[in-house]
Amino acid sequence: MSILPKKNELGFFEIRLESIGGLGANLAGKMLAEAGVLGLGLNGSNFSSYGSEKKGSPVKSFIRFCDPDTEIRAHSPIEEPHVIGVFHEALYKMVDVVSGLAPDGIVLVNSTREFDDIKRDLRLEYGTLAVVDALGIAVEEKTKVNTAMLGALFRVCDFLDPEAMKQVIRKTFEKKYPHLVESNIRTFERGYHEVRFKTYEAPESARGKAFSRPEPLLGYETQEIGGIISANANSIFKDLSGSRQGFLPKWEEEKCIHCVACDTVCPDFCFVWEEGEDKKGRKQMFLRGIDYQYCKGCLKCVEACPTAALSVEREQIGFAEQHQVKQKFPLATGGAY
Amino acid sequence: MAMVEEKGTKQAVEQVTTFESGNEMAALAAAQIDYHVMGYFPITPSTEIAQLLDQMKTRGEHNIQLIAADGEHGSAGICYGASVMGARVFNATSANGLMYMLEQLPVQSGTRFPMVMNLVTRSISGPLDIRGDHSDLYFALNTGWVILLARTPQAVYDMNIMALKIAEHADVRLPVIVAYDGFFTSHQKRKVQYFKDRAVVQAFVGERPTEFPNAADPKNPMTIGAHMNGDDLINNNYQQSEALYRAGEVFKQVAREYAELSGREYPVLDLYQMDDAEVALFLLNSAAETAKDVVDKLRAKGIKAGVISPNIIRPFPAEEIRQALKNVKALLIGERADSYGAHGPNMTHEVKSALQSDSENKTIVLSRVFGVGGKDFYADEAEAFFQLAIEAMEKGYAEKPFDYFGHVPGKQEKKLQRVMEPMHGDAFKTGLIQVTEDEETKRLKVKVPPLRALTAKPKRIAPGHGACPGCGIFPGLELFFKGIEGDVVVLFQTGCAYVVTTAYPYSSHKQTMIHNLFQNGPATLSGAVEAFLEMKKRGDIQVSDDVTFVMVTGDGGMDIGMGSAIGTALRNHKLIMLEYDNEGYMNTGSQMSYSTPMGHMTSTTGVGKTQKGKAFHHKDTAQIMAATNIPYVFTATEAFPQDLIKKAAKAQWYAQNVGTVYGKLLITCPLNWKTEERYGAKIMEAAVNSCFFPLYEVERGITTITYDPEEKNKRIPLSEWLKYMGKTKHLLKEENRDLLLEFEQEVERRWRRLKAKHEHPEL
Repeated sequence: MSILPKKNELGFFEIRLESIGGLGANLAGKMLAEAGVLGLGLNGSNFSSYGSEKKGSPVKSFIRFCDPDTEIRAHSPIEEPHVIGVFHEALYKMVDVVSGLAPDGIVLVNSTREFDDIKRDLRLEYGTLAVVDALGIAVEEKTKVNTAMLGALFRVCDFLDPEAMKQVIRKTFEKKYPHLVESNIRTFERGYHEVRFKTYEAPESARGKAFSRPEPLLGYETQEIGGIISANANSIFKDLSGSRQGFLPKWEEEKCIHCVACDTVCPDFCFVWEEGEDKKGRKQMFLRGIDYQYCKGCLKCVEACPTAALSVEREQIGFAEQHQVKQKFPLATGGAY
Repeated sequence: MAMVEEKGTKQAVEQVTTFESGNEMAALAAAQIDYHVMGYFPITPSTEIAQLLDQMKTRGEHNIQLIAADGEHGSAGICYGASVMGARVFNATSANGLMYMLEQLPVQSGTRFPMVMNLVTRSISGPLDIRGDHSDLYFALNTGWVILLARTPQAVYDMNIMALKIAEHADVRLPVIVAYDGFFTSHQKRKVQYFKDRAVVQAFVGERPTEFPNAADPKNPMTIGAHMNGDDLINNNYQQSEALYRAGEVFKQVAREYAELSGREYPVLDLYQMDDAEVALFLLNSAAETAKDVVDKLRAKGIKAGVISPNIIRPFPAEEIRQALKNVKALLIGERADSYGAHGPNMTHEVKSALQSDSENKTIVLSRVFGVGGKDFYADEAEAFFQLAIEAMEKGYAEKPFDYFGHVPGKQEKKLQRVMEPMHGDAFKTGLIQVTEDEETKRLKVKVPPLRALTAKPKRIAPGHGACPGCGIFPGLELFFKGIEGDVVVLFQTGCAYVVTTAYPYSSHKQTMIHNLFQNGPATLSGAVEAFLEMKKRGDIQVSDDVTFVMVTGDGGMDIGMGSAIGTALRNHKLIMLEYDNEGYMNTGSQMSYSTPMGHMTSTTGVGKTQKGKAFHHKDTAQIMAATNIPYVFTATEAFPQDLIKKAAKAQWYAQNVGTVYGKLLITCPLNWKTEERYGAKIMEAAVNSCFFPLYEVERGITTITYDPEEKNKRIPLSEWLKYMGKTKHLLKEENRDLLLEFEQEVERRWRRLKAKHEHPEL
């Protein structure tokens, strides 16, 4: 008898984790897979999206489980998973995180928000939504988001053995960081217990979220020869706000002395300057605000600020949009962007 | 992680089941064999092998001398040197790593010194693509090495053990490549088995043969590497050719012995449902696995489909392929690389040539280039391949014998359009920066305005680049560019700054950016600047005089590209080489560079029982470059912005009027230094105030310290810098006091010497 609750035509139960680099989704994926393969004797495979992704860029981790006698030959990314784990809520702005989810699938989201709000933002129609405040748990326990998510994932994948996972956590930390054992086990347990579920029933006719294999923007008739890009600086259209991990700098004009310390240390060119006149009527440069589209939340600027004009803000949805000051570039189509 | 132990019933020896990737299994096999030497240089996706071996070494799990070379050419040299001593030698590389060592490979095989190298296959440049295909593997075909293919992580382990035995066999005496798919096999974790006791592996491989020529025995002197003429070379080549064919027979014998030991069989060809197949696919490595699932599906529909995938391609198993294809009506050969202009890639020609000598064979052969650069291969695509073969079978001929598969025309409306009006010339001229030469002293005087005024000057790099939060590269580069007036042509060597600003089809460069291979930036920019000047002189181009040529490199690029950098400096071209030093190869996952300071932890200089981070001191690149006697050398950091901008302005003047400039910016890498992102500038300040990174310049041979922390009463102990970083926290522990002391003494010695130079213009 198979312990797997569901299987696709090749006999796989499939999980896809959606995250940004730095949150530990790959490690969580590996531990999840090992719990099934080495702990329960299932066959399985585990891998990540590959590339030169840096911290803060979207990443995926894939887990396939099957019965011990099923051979795994597929190498391709998981397109139609049974379970999706979203480690970073703001990802939906950059990635269609629920792509390919079956109508009876489960999406686990790290969030503090209401089910229906999340459902709307993810453009989820049917399926079970599971929500856990993994960041909140991690902040309280001074641990990592991935351990809380792992706890919730063990609840979602109820054929796995959470006790065995706790043993693994104990072993992992015991030797080098004994003081972290209990807080990590608590984090795992809280993830496991605090996850909440809501099911959106699928009508008979529901077919799940169709998976669309991403198409390249260009082709052999439209790509310039030799891979040359003559649309220089087109990265200005990228939205990097999803790279922030819960915090951003807040700027208060009245406390600002326009000293440029923030601009000097900013890796992402977020500070917007404009010529104006000082009190004596002399031309001078003034800081006008922050272009949050590019801000990855490193907070170097807050550290550099000699006054209290820049401070750390726990990011609430909508804050960046409300306080956004756009960079002005000389756009080719005319006008300022 | 707990491991499940399975006491096999058939096997006489104990094997352990675990869950590992191809790279992990390659490293494990090497550790169990306990090679004498591994010479290596990091390149994705093979890098992990050296990292894993380093980790195992810190735990005392093997004794392999892991030698971090200055590039793959160097790594192949280290391996050759070790193998001529008669040692057991191991290497791993990918893509351009293989290309860079290519000239060494026929030397290794032609002079008949066995070794084992894992080729974790990846696309070769250009354009640069870090993911998997077989374009590197195809360049290895003519090197005279035995080439084994491993389709799964299990096969990677098994082939690595078989490889050494084949290489050292008296009938062979040739180096062996074990090739497996980058990422698909190298990084995917699977259930795998390995021998619990390394003695089993060592017994299988056997004792190191000592009866063959080597350089390690003074009692038995010999000349290795004499030169020949054709009369003699033809005989050497014949010997080699015969040995390589014999390797095919030895492979069968070793595979048989290995099957007895392990229970896992590796025939020459992996044949899936080929007994009665009418249509078949010929695929190398992981893609063949995907196709097998499709065979099951097609068979269920009554279609006689099969898959052929060789386990060895050097020697090429021509006879086995003839046999396997005897009754196949249509075969599609799918290849993850092209042999441009040859009407089909390499395997196509080799399979066709094998069939040519069977006069009765009627197989229709189709050839498709697919899945290059890591493009995924899905089951429905394997099905489409079979469909093409079925069509050919039904028609009796191939309508299109050779084609590409998976390429798309694209939509005209999505063609890239210029986004910004080109910014050049006056756009980057503030007129606020003044550099004048003192007639008498020949020293430059620089006036720069307050930083606030310079915010009016646009940045050269656009936002939207993909660097990690808190990356130190971009503040460093932009401060430098603030000091440069007018147009620039920049060349970015391979590294983080390049990768995160040029992810196709996006660019974060406002002005022209050139990239060339890792080690060749200085030479490339030399050519660019000379062509620019020559074309201008002839009136072929009408451009302004004041274009500044800047090469941007990481410290990695200054390791592998040191020769090119010194050559360029000695020729004194009018260009700037600007190094951002983050003390490691961060783009490939934090391997040590020569600029990594002593004791610092990287992914190839781990901290553990038997080793405490990097074993030797950091490279003093600024002093090396100063010794080439170029007109201007400087060091700078974002923590001292005015100092940096002034030096940039001087650099521009020298590059436009005199010759080559070299500058080093120390920058933080929060991810790999394990520091808090927000403290970037503070950490830089501490690096300067601890005298680890003195701010100075060497202008026409005269050294000036531009900021002296001792004079300013700001000097701090080195530990005040080290305490910020996770990569150095072990250095502050009592048990590592001697190591810290050694590091401190070296920093102090260099600082004192620099001060002496500062005080004596003749030094």
